[in-house]
Amino acid sequence: MRRVRQFTIWQRIIVSSLAVGLLVGNAEAAGPLRDTIRNVFGPDGIILDPGRALPGSGSRAGDFQASSRQGLEQLNDQISSTFGIVSFNSSVTGFTFDLERGTPIRTTESLGPLLTERAPTLGARRLDVNFTYTRIAFTQFQGSDLENVPLIFAAEDINQNGIIDRRGTFRSESDQVLVRLKLDISEDLFAMIATYGVTSSWDIGVVVPVVHLRFRADGQAAIVDKNGNPGGTFVNGSPVHLFRNGSSSLTASGGGDTTGVGDVIIRTKYNLFTSHSALPDLSTVVEAKLPTGSRDNLLGTGGTNLTGLLVASRTYGRWFTPHLNLGYVRDTRDTRQSKIRYAGGFDARLLERLTVIADIMGFSKPNGNGVGNNIVDLSLGAKWNPIGSWFLGANFQIPLNKGSGLRADFIPTFAVEYLF
Amino acid sequence: MVIQTIRIGHLLSSLALLTAVATFPSLTEAAKIIALKSADVDVYNEALEGFRNGSQGSAIIEYDMQGDLQKGKKFLARLRSGPKPDLILAVGIWALQVVAEEVQDIPVVFAMVLNPTTVIGQEARNITGASMNVPIEQQLALLKTISPHVGRIGVIYDPSKTGWLVRQAERLAKDHGVRLVTKAVTSPKDSFAALEAMQDEIDALWILPDLTVLAPESVQYMLLFSFRHKIPVLGLSENQVRMGALFGLSFESGWDIGSQAAELASGILAGKRIEEMPVTTARKLRLTVNLKSAGKLGVHIPKEILDRADVVIR
Repeated sequence: MRRVRQFTIWQRIIVSSLAVGLLVGNAEAAGPLRDTIRNVFGPDGIILDPGRALPGSGSRAGDFQASSRQGLEQLNDQISSTFGIVSFNSSVTGFTFDLERGTPIRTTESLGPLLTERAPTLGARRLDVNFTYTRIAFTQFQGSDLENVPLIFAAEDINQNGIIDRRGTFRSESDQVLVRLKLDISEDLFAMIATYGVTSSWDIGVVVPVVHLRFRADGQAAIVDKNGNPGGTFVNGSPVHLFRNGSSSLTASGGGDTTGVGDVIIRTKYNLFTSHSALPDLSTVVEAKLPTGSRDNLLGTGGTNLTGLLVASRTYGRWFTPHLNLGYVRDTRDTRQSKIRYAGGFDARLLERLTVIADIMGFSKPNGNGVGNNIVDLSLGAKWNPIGSWFLGANFQIPLNKGSGLRADFIPTFAVEYLF
Repeated sequence: MVIQTIRIGHLLSSLALLTAVATFPSLTEAAKIIALKSADVDVYNEALEGFRNGSQGSAIIEYDMQGDLQKGKKFLARLRSGPKPDLILAVGIWALQVVAEEVQDIPVVFAMVLNPTTVIGQEARNITGASMNVPIEQQLALLKTISPHVGRIGVIYDPSKTGWLVRQAERLAKDHGVRLVTKAVTSPKDSFAALEAMQDEIDALWILPDLTVLAPESVQYMLLFSFRHKIPVLGLSENQVRMGALFGLSFESGWDIGSQAAELASGILAGKRIEEMPVTTARKLRLTVNLKSAGKLGVHIPKEILDRADVVIR
C-alpha cells in the first residue's frame, strides 16, 4: 500500500510537469531557433543583387555568400553550443543521532545551498518538491556585448589568383561586408525538482525543466571598400556590389520565442559517511541529463550528459557548513563539451530560520572548442523557512569571467520548496 | 505476521491512519500498535525493525514526527478521533515527551530513550520501555577490571538531569568497593571548576549522559584533565574514546533495544500490568578501548578486555 501511494505522488508530479510543458510548448520562430543567426540574412547567407557584374566576369551576387555563411554559421554554432548549462541541487534536511545525548540532531541547522550540493541526504521515505524560476538574460558572448556583435565578411577571390586584389580590374575583391548583429537572447526557466529519500543515505530525484527561450537577431550589413568607404568599389561610376534591395546597406532580423520541456535530469545521491572523526561528510551524486528538450529550438542539447560528482561538507557549530563539489560531466554527443564541474562555498544560518549561501562555482572544458571553456560564477543566496515545511529561496549568480562563453550580467533564481 | 507500515506526510496522515485501521480486516483482529518515531534516524529505524521482529502478530502503524513536537501532538489529537490503539510505541525522547504529555489512557512502551525518568516522572502509570542507558554495574565492573586500584571515581553531574542516576550509582559503587566523588553543577561552565576541585580526590573520571555536562568544551576539558593528571576516563561512546577516553560502553544496536521494547509490549498485550514491567537498560553493549590513551596513562589493558572489545583504537 505504501509503495502504491508513493508512486502516485511521483506520477502526479512528473506527469503534471510534463503536461504543463507540453501544453505550453510552441515556437513562434519561422525556423528552428538554433539557426537564428545562420538564417538572419536568409538561409543561403548574404546574396547580393544578381544584376551587378564586372566586365567579363558575370554576376557578383555570390561574392560574399561563402564567407557570410561560414561566419554566421560559426557564430551560430558557438552560441548555440553554450545553451543548456543550468545548475540544480538536491535538497537537504534530516537528522543524525547524538549518541551521547541520546537525541537526534539536525544534519545541519541551516537550510542548505540552492545551486550546489551538501553531503547529507534527505532522509528515508521523505519527499521534497521544489519549484524554481530562473531568469537568464544574456548580455555578452566571449566578452563582446550582445547588443553589438561585429562580423566582417570578405569578398570572393574573383580571378582566383590567390590574393585579394586591391588594384586593377578585380579591385572589388577588397570590398567587405560589415555586419553588426544585435542579439536578444534570454531564457525563463521553470523547473520542478523532486527528491525522494529511498533510505536514510540514498536519494533519487528528477528535474523537469520547462523553458521559455527568446532568441532574436537583428542584423545591419553595409558594403564598404578597402578604405572603409560606404558603397564599396565603383567601376565606371557604378557600384560593383549592392544588396538585393538595391542599396549598399541592409537590415534583417530573425528568430523568435519558443516554450517547451527542456532536458530532464534524473539523479541519485548516496551518502558514503557522516560524522567521521577526521573526515568531512562525503557523498556521491550521479546525474543523467536526457535529451528530452528540442535541440533545434535550443531547449536541450540533443545529447545525454552523464555526471559524477563527489560532495564533501561538514557542519561546524550547527550553523556553518562549508562544502566542496568536484566532478566530471561527460557529454556523450559532443565530447568536446565534456567538462570538469566544481563548486566551493558555505551556507550559514544567520537567524533561526534564515540561511545565507555563498559559492564559487564553475566548470572547465579540458578539450573545449575555445568558447566558454572556463566559466566561473559567484553565487549568493538566501533560504528562508517562513512556516512549517515551506521554504523560500532566492539566489543570484554573477559571472566572474565575462570574457568566456555566453553570459548574463546576473542570473536570479527564486525557489519555493515543500518538504513532505 | 501482520505488519502494515504507513509512512505518511502530515497532510495525509489522518486520512491514511483512519483508512488503514478501518479497511484492513486483519488489523481489526491483530493488536494495533501506533509507533511514533521522533525523527528519521538510522538507530530509530533499527529499533523499529527490532520491535517489528519481536511483535509478530501485531499490526504496527508508523508515524514520523520529523523532529517536530507539534506534529507529534497533532497526530495524537487526530488519533483520538479514531479507534483506540492497543499500545503506543514511542521511539526516541521527543516521541516519549509528546506521548507522556498527551496520553494517559493507553499503554505506552518507549525505545531508544536516554535517561527516561527525566521525561516520564514518577506519576506516569501507563509507561514503561527500553532505555538506551548502559547498566551502571557493568560500567563499574569494567572499570575495576581495567584499573583494579581505582577506589574513588569522580562524577560531575547536574542533579536535575542525572541526580537519579548518581543516587543509583552511589549505592552500586559500594558493592564494587569504590566510592563516588560527586560534584553537582548547574551549567556547563561550572564543570571546569568542579573538575579542578576534585583533582587530588579521584582515581578515575566517569562521564555521565548528562546534558549539562556534555557541552563539547566540558568534555574536551575532562579529557585534557585526564592526560594531565593521568586519570583514566570512562566515556559514553566510541566518539569520546576516539577523543581520548580510556574506554567507553554504549548500547550495541538500536535493533536490540527495539527487541527489548517488543518484549515489554508483548507482556502488556498479554495482560501484564505495567508496574510489573520496569524500564530496562541496554542488555547488549559495545565496548571501545583506546590503547593510545592507555599508553599515555600507564594503564595495562587485560587481554580479556581487548578480546571482548568491539573497537580497539591503537
